Amino acid sequence: MRWNDALTLAVRDLLRRRVRTALTMLGVALGSGLLVALAIITNAADTKVIEHLGQGGPVSVIKVADARPRLNQLESDNFETDAPHDLTDADLAAIRGAPHVGRVIPVLTSPVQELPAQGGTFFDDIIGTDMTQARSLPITVLAGRLPAPASMTEVAATTDFLEKTHVDASHPRSVLGEEVMLTTPRVEAGPPGLVHGRSYRAVVVGVVAQDVTDGDFVVPVAQAQAARQWELGGAGSRDFPLPTSPYSGAVVIASSLADVHDVRAEIFVLGYATSAPEHLVASVEQYLGIVNVVLGSIGSVALAIALLSIANALLAALYERRREIGVVKAIGGRDRDVLRWFLLEALGLGLAGGAAGAMAGIVIAELIGLAVNQYLVAHSLGSLDLVGVPVLIPLAGWLGTGALAVVAGGIPSLRAAQLPAREAVVEA
Amino acid sequence: MRVRGVGHRYGAVTVLDGLDLDLPAGGYLALMGASGAGKSTALALIGGLERPQRGTVVVGGQALDRLAGDALADYRRRTVGFVFQHFGLLETLTALENVELALALDGVGRMERRARARELLAAVRLGGREEHRPSALSGGERQRVAVARALANRPRLILADEPTGNLDATAARVVLDLLGSLRSEHGCSLLVVTHNPVVARRADVSCELADGRLRPS
Repeated sequence: MRWNDALTLAVRDLLRRRVRTALTMLGVALGSGLLVALAIITNAADTKVIEHLGQGGPVSVIKVADARPRLNQLESDNFETDAPHDLTDADLAAIRGAPHVGRVIPVLTSPVQELPAQGGTFFDDIIGTDMTQARSLPITVLAGRLPAPASMTEVAATTDFLEKTHVDASHPRSVLGEEVMLTTPRVEAGPPGLVHGRSYRAVVVGVVAQDVTDGDFVVPVAQAQAARQWELGGAGSRDFPLPTSPYSGAVVIASSLADVHDVRAEIFVLGYATSAPEHLVASVEQYLGIVNVVLGSIGSVALAIALLSIANALLAALYERRREIGVVKAIGGRDRDVLRWFLLEALGLGLAGGAAGAMAGIVIAELIGLAVNQYLVAHSLGSLDLVGVPVLIPLAGWLGTGALAVVAGGIPSLRAAQLPAREAVVEA
Repeated sequence: MRVRGVGHRYGAVTVLDGLDLDLPAGGYLALMGASGAGKSTALALIGGLERPQRGTVVVGGQALDRLAGDALADYRRRTVGFVFQHFGLLETLTALENVELALALDGVGRMERRARARELLAAVRLGGREEHRPSALSGGERQRVAVARALANRPRLILADEPTGNLDATAARVVLDLLGSLRSEHGCSLLVVTHNPVVARRADVSCELADGRLRPS
């Protein structure tokens, strides 16, 4: 018997027992649908989330200090600093030229005295950086906006400043538009203790959460450079020496998450201490791996149960059709003809159930993706598009279910094939 | 067909004990006997559904004790044709497809087998019932489909197991007439197992099985 003839027999038999076929298919669809949905979700977690964070996001950021590294630097996520080491434009160019380096953004901090409008006096740093590249930095705007790149009066307050001024961090908009007097001190030559200050009024145009370095305000680099110039005009003192490094640090963005360690190693060779959440990422990946295994196991158990239902349905069909199988053999059917007939029934159940399951899996994954996205947006955690399913997963789910169904139907099919032709004349 | 000294047991029960039987080419033999006399077992052994535990069965020059696996399936497909009391039609297939199945098992192409199946159904006077499923046919019609299927691969021997057992008198007569005429037309031998003397009387020779042995009647 040819395959197409066996297929006709298989399809007719599946259609004859519509209820059983439908229930078996439903079981297969549930199992494969669950597995496909979980595979899509874990794939999204593995690729989209990590990639989203890794490509220019905070987990691929390497912070560079103007200090030499200790020997154990690369074993730690944090700065392991030794003696100061000036960070010049030439050094930044050297870092920029290293393999797998995406961007190098210099950072310049300067100490200031802060006099907010609501009163009080605080001392901390302003953080100057290139506002045009702020999207690549670990800075999240919580309210308002970032200062204009060339502005000498606009600043963004950090959450540290909110804490100092007792502003509720959940209502950051309340500080927008406020003025703050910023004064850069310098120790003058002459009598000990003679200090002059350079003051300017700045307007808070935004509030940010940032992990670039410590400081109360993020400002355009020009503001920080002006403050530094003023500071260098003084004489300094033993307690407040004049800074010698043109930059107080830099933020380096690796090309990808996988390159973070290599880039850190290159910067280590250049003689600078670094920090990067390498071990955090490894931990996240490890946890995602565990989640994958757990979810995959749940889906696999569901699929295994579904496949057992195929084996069960075929065994039931075998016992019901003993005489029919005997007749087919009595009129000349070979063992392999019956084997094909039953295996095609199993394959039919697997492919039909697998197709329904793949579609259901896509719908489930899309719904979960939408729910996750809505949650992220509602909690101001940005938008992460989990929608958009890779074709390979449902396709593999569909074909895999078909293949597994054939395996599950193997024993019933073999038993059917081995039934003796005498069954044709046995009393029913 | 030549059967010599065939013995067969199911557990402790001896069903056949030294059965000898001959059927010449083109002959018509009726095998009678009470229920449990071993008629169906004899038919199963001659038809290659089972292998005899003792003795020899030779049909068309083929010794069945030397056949196994695919060779035995080939024998069942090409040398013999079965007609069962329960018709043995596949409920999911139409009358035409049931006849075609025997040809499909022999690897005959779709067009050729369809033409042959139509021809056979016409020969058993079911020309207008080709697309009907068995459930839409009467008992007599089903048995005629089974006869057409048995003849599909031009066998040398037709084996009919109580072919009229589930039919009324009229339908039984039609089926027996058909078997008789088709035997002549197709030049095959016919072995009918029956407990009905009316059926047996149509045969050239009839024998009776009792206690696993043949008793001339």
